Amino acid sequence: MTPGTRTSRAKADAFLAVAVLAAVWKLGSIAVGADIILPAPERVLSTLARVASDDGFVAALSATALRGLASFGVSMALGVSLGFAAGVSDRFRAMLAPVLTVTRATPVLAIILLAMIWFPSGIVPVFSAVVMAFPVAASDVAAGVRSADPRLLDMARSFGVPARDVAARIRLPSAAPHLASAARNAIGLSWKVVVAGEVLSQPAYAVGTGMQNARVMLETAEVFAWAAVGILLCAASDALFDLLSRRLSWATK
Amino acid sequence: MGYEVRGLAKSFGELRVLGGLDLEFPAGRVTVVLGPSGCGKTSLLNILAGLDADYSGEVRGFGPGKASYVFQEDRLMPWMSAMDNVALVLRRFMGKERAMAAAEEALEAVGLQGSRGSKPGAMSGGMRRRVALARAFAYPSEVLLLDEPFSSLDLRTRISVMDLFLDLRERDGRSAVVVTHDVREAIYLGSRIATLSDKPAKARDVFDLTLAKADRGFTSRAAASFEARLYESILS
Repeated sequence: MTPGTRTSRAKADAFLAVAVLAAVWKLGSIAVGADIILPAPERVLSTLARVASDDGFVAALSATALRGLASFGVSMALGVSLGFAAGVSDRFRAMLAPVLTVTRATPVLAIILLAMIWFPSGIVPVFSAVVMAFPVAASDVAAGVRSADPRLLDMARSFGVPARDVAARIRLPSAAPHLASAARNAIGLSWKVVVAGEVLSQPAYAVGTGMQNARVMLETAEVFAWAAVGILLCAASDALFDLLSRRLSWATK
Repeated sequence: MGYEVRGLAKSFGELRVLGGLDLEFPAGRVTVVLGPSGCGKTSLLNILAGLDADYSGEVRGFGPGKASYVFQEDRLMPWMSAMDNVALVLRRFMGKERAMAAAEEALEAVGLQGSRGSKPGAMSGGMRRRVALARAFAYPSEVLLLDEPFSSLDLRTRISVMDLFLDLRERDGRSAVVVTHDVREAIYLGSRIATLSDKPAKARDVFDLTLAKADRGFTSRAAASFEARLYESILS
């Protein structure tokens, strides 16, 4: 089977899975018979179209996208620098380990609630997402840096290659594929936590605010529609990182 | 300057691999250390290269940064071009520009001027060995260390890369220590051959080779009769 055929088959399978999900959803909505509990898929689609044409939609979408990207940027900056340091230094890794464990184990709601005490509503989602996403990025990057081929490191040592060159030219490129996976994990988590933070902190413009307002009004179809907006943001970033990881794995071959 | 080891011993836990090795490596010559597979030849080179400091005995003339190491595998960075791979080990001695120029010159010396921008993945095994040789010769060391450097190549490529090594070494005049388990390779490359016993390795015999280059070939009768003497030494 050619790679092209395999890709087409995978796309057909994905389409089939979505179709089955939509069918189950539709049957479920018919069985429940109440839009307020489970609206039909076509109802959610028409609500999504209405929400998207509302005046505040672009502002809400842009604000959430900006928060997501800001969280992602800060998480990656922190994750890459701390992960890199943990990858090259055993002592730093030992010191960082409990910090990462604590942040990973802390419930996201606890972080959002604390952030609501400390920060204005627009910052809460960003802060919460950074706290949740940077440990994931740091762990991925540290694993990548540590995955550098020990035989290449021995070669560098035997030729007396300076530590900064070893870091920049051997360890960092070794971590490149892990960097793409770190980025994908960090942005995926950022979208989820940002929207969750917005639901609770209610900034003026936000996907999460739209979702929460719809919930208060018992507009279940609108809750679904706003959730779909969040899913679309996540899917777009996933597609971008698929492309990036393909390029990075090509560059390191 | 002479290079030697005296009473060199190395163990991995309970396993003694080098059992008080005494060897001399005369300056300006190619000394081949010939021994069975797994007898501790790589451990010896790692100690000479300064990669392993956990040993007992004396090591004279060698040390970190003094040797260019050609490993059993190419040990090239797959994400770097041939030229960047060579330049990486030169950058601490000169600026980036000069390191690149020196790397280019070294690749030209091994016949790879047309492949300087190629990555290792796009090169044949013989070409990658040439890059590893270029790196070793370009590095301003006192001694070359080679760990079974040609054994992974087919015979024709192996002879051509070994000839290249001998030519470069002859012009360069640097001392070289080659370890191998291959008797014919030892005869082809060495001006002196030291045989080792199996674990824990000890020096058995030392042979100074007087054979002309033409008599060292894989089809040479003179080399074949010398081969028998080496086998006697290894198997005795």
